[in-house]
Amino acid sequence: MRSRGRVVRGVVRYALMLVVLAVTVGPFLWQLSTSLKGPAEDVYTSPPRFLPAHPTGANYAEVADVIPVWDYALNSLKVAVASVLTNLVGASTAGYALARLRFRGRRAAGLAFVAALLVPLESVIIAQLTLVRDLGLGDTLVAVVLPGAVGALNVLLMRNAFAGVPYELEEAAVIDGANVWQRFTRIALPSVRGTLAVVAIFAFTGAWDDFLWPLVVLSDSDRFTLTVGLNFLHGTFQQNPRLVAAGTVIAVAPLLVMFAVLQRYFFRGVGEGAVKG
Amino acid sequence: MALSRGRALVTVPLVSAVLALATACGADGGGGGSSADGKPEGKITFQTWNLRAKYKDYFEGLVKDFGKKYPDVTVVWLDQPADNYADKLGADAAGGTLPDVVNVSPDLSYPLARAGMLVDLDEEKAAARFKDEYTPEAWRGNVLPGLGGSYAFPWYLNTGPLFYNKKLFREAGLDPEKPPRTYDELFGAAETMARASGGKVATLAGTPSIEDFGRYGVRLMNDKATEFTYNEPRGVELLGRYKQLYEHGGLDPQALTNTPEKVGQKFLEQRVAMNPGSAFDLANFKKNAPGLYLSLGITDAPNNTGKPNMYVMGLGVNAHSRHKAAAIAFAHFVTERRNQEDFAHRVAVFPSTKGSLDTPYWTRDDGTAEGRVRVASAKMLKGAVNYTPVVMTDEMKTVLKNEVAKALQGRKSPRRALDDAVARSNHLLGQG
Repeated sequence: MRSRGRVVRGVVRYALMLVVLAVTVGPFLWQLSTSLKGPAEDVYTSPPRFLPAHPTGANYAEVADVIPVWDYALNSLKVAVASVLTNLVGASTAGYALARLRFRGRRAAGLAFVAALLVPLESVIIAQLTLVRDLGLGDTLVAVVLPGAVGALNVLLMRNAFAGVPYELEEAAVIDGANVWQRFTRIALPSVRGTLAVVAIFAFTGAWDDFLWPLVVLSDSDRFTLTVGLNFLHGTFQQNPRLVAAGTVIAVAPLLVMFAVLQRYFFRGVGEGAVKG
Repeated sequence: MALSRGRALVTVPLVSAVLALATACGADGGGGGSSADGKPEGKITFQTWNLRAKYKDYFEGLVKDFGKKYPDVTVVWLDQPADNYADKLGADAAGGTLPDVVNVSPDLSYPLARAGMLVDLDEEKAAARFKDEYTPEAWRGNVLPGLGGSYAFPWYLNTGPLFYNKKLFREAGLDPEKPPRTYDELFGAAETMARASGGKVATLAGTPSIEDFGRYGVRLMNDKATEFTYNEPRGVELLGRYKQLYEHGGLDPQALTNTPEKVGQKFLEQRVAMNPGSAFDLANFKKNAPGLYLSLGITDAPNNTGKPNMYVMGLGVNAHSRHKAAAIAFAHFVTERRNQEDFAHRVAVFPSTKGSLDTPYWTRDDGTAEGRVRVASAKMLKGAVNYTPVVMTDEMKTVLKNEVAKALQGRKSPRRALDDAVARSNHLLGQG
């Protein structure tokens, strides 16, 4: 009896997982299949056909032909890597200060970060733009990185991760004569490696996927990032959904690689806050 | 289906907010900029809207030719991607970096002009002298109500026929060679189609938009463009007919939530029998739905006014340009007859210069489907108007769409729905 109930539960569980898988992965597979369809195939059929009848890589070559996709990808990569570095450094130092250092206004500073989460980009974008221009950085990649250089959410993530590290560890270090900087680099940072990976992934995907801000701040199309540049594939007069799909796959591929490389840390990071000291 | 870029124009309320800001601090005292009468010289920027990918050679050629004519002017060509173009323009206007010559449609030029960012071409003598080179319809299409003159050199125009699926017509027992020509025939055919297919095949997939009201002969606004008037009896009548269509299955069941893109896709999937389109859609059908292309029929979109609908694109000149004379010279150069015809030959759009549409390319049908659509559309452009009121923001279009949806679902009477839409839109208009 009991084993049958377990089987039923297992079936239900797997069925639900399959549904979620279909919902999350389905659209991407659909894009992938569209990007491989040849020019003579109906892209829009009812019911939709998943497997291309004449698979071809020609659409990918055409994307590179229509737009300088590698230049755009390089721009995106520069922005994303810079954003990862600034976020790792900025968020971990700020997070550590909020979690461990005692100073006047610590609570207020923490609240300021929470409040910053509530401000939508759209409402401050013009102020940001004029500020960046007054700094003489208009139409540069530095300007693209700057507003997202230290994300408020990342700071809070790091703060919570540091707060979760048993204080006794650091006390022991204090007794051994370690100063704040040594405690930070030798003890605190190594214990939150998982959260650092999470921050790295968030920063990378955030910078990689951002559209509105780079669009607004960049004018010269040589400096466009990939998301902005790929938008050129939406033809003004004609749509070729195969090209758009190929562009989407190109844009997503690095994110998949990034996640595959960091996933070991990623899952550890997600669970980190739950560990008891 | 409107110009496919029409759908890209997702005007976030941001734009108007931004421009309010621009008027407050940006426009430093009236005209500004340089004089337009001087000799064209200096470095100017020219911004197009998503034309780089396909027409790079054309624009680079244009810039080069212009350089030969005016060696003292350097033109830097910029191109912006399809999405969020209105946001980009708004941000540039506020930040004081609006390019010297910008590609705009009337709804895009309206907020810019109101903030004093564009040159009034009727008032600026250096520009007004070119007025006679363009068709009166096209020049009028760029005139902004309430602001006096025209704020953009007319560039390319577009209009289009109604495409229909002959196979679906045949299956429903309708004569595929006799497509509907009037609204009565259109609604009649839709009823037949719904009955014959058991409600599986709809004839139209989109709810009526403001252009549809315009074509039906509804007066959309008062003359000063200060109030919407589409809730007059004729408008109520059109919505009533759509409601009936919806109830009988002549309108796609998902019409209420369909985007223009989705509407086009349903036609490609052969689940909807008719769809308005443009000359350049033919290439799309051929490429993406070869099956449909074989049974494609073409007919004129019906209208009750004798005036077909058209979309106009223009080139505005930045009122604060430091080299206004060069900017005006270049905007005129791009839109002069030879260059417009050249562009229209490449893209399957239509030139707005006088006499262009009388050339054989646009009058002689060469027997191909492209030729037929081209000639038919060119004929429609004579006397065509841009029905979409330029003051109608995307927010107001959404208001109309939502109220139309309520009427179709039977939650409000058509009369009530349109009254509410008009009231809300007028309120928004008063705010802006």
